[in-house]
Amino acid sequence: MRRRAAIVVPAMLLGMVLSGCGGSPETPQDAGLLTLAAPRDLVAGPQDPYFTHQTLRVWEPLVSVDDRLRPVPALATAWESADGGRRWTFTLREGVRFSDGSALNAEAVVANVQRFLRIAPRQSAFFSLDAGMEAAYGQLEEVRADGGRVTFELRRPVADLPGRLAGFYSMIQSPKAFAASGDFAGNPVGTGPYTLTRWTKGQQAELAANPHYYGAAPAYKKIVVKVIPDANARVAALRAGEVDGLIDKGALLSGQVAAVAADSRFRVVRSPSVLTHYLTFNGSREPFSDPRLREAAELAIDRRTIADKLLAGTAKTGAAFLSPVFGELSDPTVAAAYDPAKARALVDAAGRPAAPVTILISSAETGQFPYTDIAEVLRAAFEQAGLPAKVTVAEATKAVMEAGDYDVFLSAYSVPNGDADYLFRRFLRSDAAWNVDRKLRYRSKEFDTLVDQAATETDQAGRRDLYRRLQRLLAADRPMIPLAYQDNPVVTTTEVGGVVQNAAYVIDLGKLTPSG
Amino acid sequence: MRFLLRRAMETLLVLLVLSVLVFLLTSLAPGDPAEEILRRGGIQPTAASIAALRAELGLELPLPVRYVRWLSDVVRGDLGLSYVDRSPVTGEILSRLPATLRLAGAAALVAAGLALLASLRPRGLGGRVITAVTVVVASVPPYIVGILLISVVAVGLRALPTGGGSGPGAVVLPALTLGLAGAATLTRLLRADLGQALALPFVRLAAAKGLSARRAVTVHALRVAAPNAITAGGAVLADLVAGAVVVETLFSWPGVGQLAISAIRQRDVPVVQAYVLVIGAATVLLLALADLCLAAADPRVRRP
Repeated sequence: MRRRAAIVVPAMLLGMVLSGCGGSPETPQDAGLLTLAAPRDLVAGPQDPYFTHQTLRVWEPLVSVDDRLRPVPALATAWESADGGRRWTFTLREGVRFSDGSALNAEAVVANVQRFLRIAPRQSAFFSLDAGMEAAYGQLEEVRADGGRVTFELRRPVADLPGRLAGFYSMIQSPKAFAASGDFAGNPVGTGPYTLTRWTKGQQAELAANPHYYGAAPAYKKIVVKVIPDANARVAALRAGEVDGLIDKGALLSGQVAAVAADSRFRVVRSPSVLTHYLTFNGSREPFSDPRLREAAELAIDRRTIADKLLAGTAKTGAAFLSPVFGELSDPTVAAAYDPAKARALVDAAGRPAAPVTILISSAETGQFPYTDIAEVLRAAFEQAGLPAKVTVAEATKAVMEAGDYDVFLSAYSVPNGDADYLFRRFLRSDAAWNVDRKLRYRSKEFDTLVDQAATETDQAGRRDLYRRLQRLLAADRPMIPLAYQDNPVVTTTEVGGVVQNAAYVIDLGKLTPSG
Repeated sequence: MRFLLRRAMETLLVLLVLSVLVFLLTSLAPGDPAEEILRRGGIQPTAASIAALRAELGLELPLPVRYVRWLSDVVRGDLGLSYVDRSPVTGEILSRLPATLRLAGAAALVAAGLALLASLRPRGLGGRVITAVTVVVASVPPYIVGILLISVVAVGLRALPTGGGSGPGAVVLPALTLGLAGAATLTRLLRADLGQALALPFVRLAAAKGLSARRAVTVHALRVAAPNAITAGGAVLADLVAGAVVVETLFSWPGVGQLAISAIRQRDVPVVQAYVLVIGAATVLLLALADLCLAAADPRVRRP
């Protein structure tokens, strides 16, 4: 017997490991249950200013944005400005209850705004209560409740307050949800179609239909959102039928979209996002302190190929500084020129730089977008135009840029809400941290004046014209060039309908329905 | 006793050096965590709030002061607060450690089981096949092996889940991915040592006396071959715990490796520090443990 043991024991051990084989993986066929996966945890926890991401629809904001970043009603049904943009009044939706059954009123809105102001600046897994928050509430003098309305009194006129408040910065939850510290006392208590019932940090969130929801009851009684950080593992889980869809920012990598879309079991929804890939020039040293060479660099780049091939059609060719998701604020007359011959001529006229130009990319972004490939294409384009170039991948791009040790930086940026002013003010105004610390050395009195004018111009047409003038100015000066406007493709099985994604990656989970 | 004491002192010294390295490597890594934390969502923070956060995180203090503070907290079991969500890192690590240990344990069973199977009949067909397979698998990165297993077994056959911590079958694919790589080292070592041991005069004598081949292997030869395997076993086990990073990410396995990867992405320095420290300490302790086992098995080691 003893001799048998030598072979039986290890075999048994192996058998124990493999014993799970018989069990079939859970199938999400359960009626009323929807299982989704996201690259990150859409719940951040009680110390976060918001607890959950807006996508989960546990809480709702006063104002949301549509696919053109226009402010659209959420908990506020209407708004009006008075006194040249110094006073804004928001009318609240009637008959709204929080998930604990208590009624939404103007006092609750005021309490939420005051909490934000009290705890800022505060980091968040989603949008820090920081610069964007300052854009939303920086001019606030007083916020008060008038019956079913909330009035914001501002120190200086703000032309687009609803757009700046849209999304996270106007989240409304029951004041009872918060402890005195401003942290959450327990689970979030919002007004959305779902409530958060269970959360395993970094693994999954479970949502259940909110019985007090004011709108039509959601079709799915329960939604499970799993966290699957690895892009290949996410698609594998979708193919294996373990999840019904992939949502959120970066749900599918550009390279995965075509294969998933070709599979008849799945439906890919591609909608434009607030994310734009920009090239930032180091204007504080040669060669790109010379505007002719910045122009040469721009003309050398075939942006269409980058958007169509390298980003696999998940992006559109960049042209105006504001992407088309800004709607009419984006200037349609700015075109993406591609003229390698002229680029070469410009380089010859200005003189070839002796040292190669450094194309900087961040290692943190190479996992999300094919930046190593794009940087190589840029390098080849620059070299053809007569600008020797090399690619540098750095982990801490901030330190590299602040040391001035780069010539072009490729990176993606977005806005926290529907706030066009934010991009100009935070990146390119003469006193902007990005402009100054990162050595862009873009100084334009005209630009600064136009930015300040546009921020306070309450006339819609006047504001649009000012933003378009700004974009034409940037197209001529070229401190940064928009390379491509990124879409955010998401995917579900054909059994899930009603997938609509706004420009800020928010999908209304409450509108998803089982479709035949 | 003197041997134990000496080994304990050595281990403590190694741990101290480890703590300095962990602290320096993570603190001197380029980049400003305050800026990274505030830059969530791709928006650009203001200089004032970066400065405020740096002060709050104690990043302005001199490095030696920060190290002493950090170490005295660590010794008391406090690994600090996550930069991202301000939750205690110790709790986070502890809640995820069981999953990693479960995975590493299952992978160790795969590795040890295969190695034993292959070695007990070194010239048999089974042994040769296992050796060949493990060597091939070990020369391919675990990432590729994992993707192959996922696409064939989970997506193609739908026999097992693609990962995740739920369900009893979920551990199989990650454990195979991790275990097959570890098996190669063990198998080759054990096979070679066992082959030599079987050729030793006293083993051949035992066989000549009429002892069965199986008994000659398990009772006599395995003992002689054990020391090397124990040393390798300790190293392989440490490798499995550390190597779980890639496999956990690939299989969405909710262990410390996955935590570490997301922490690195978000520059959550306290979590990265804690992970490296815990894995480093586990490696040092496992190797020390293997040393002790070796000393117990082989009296020659105990001599000074």
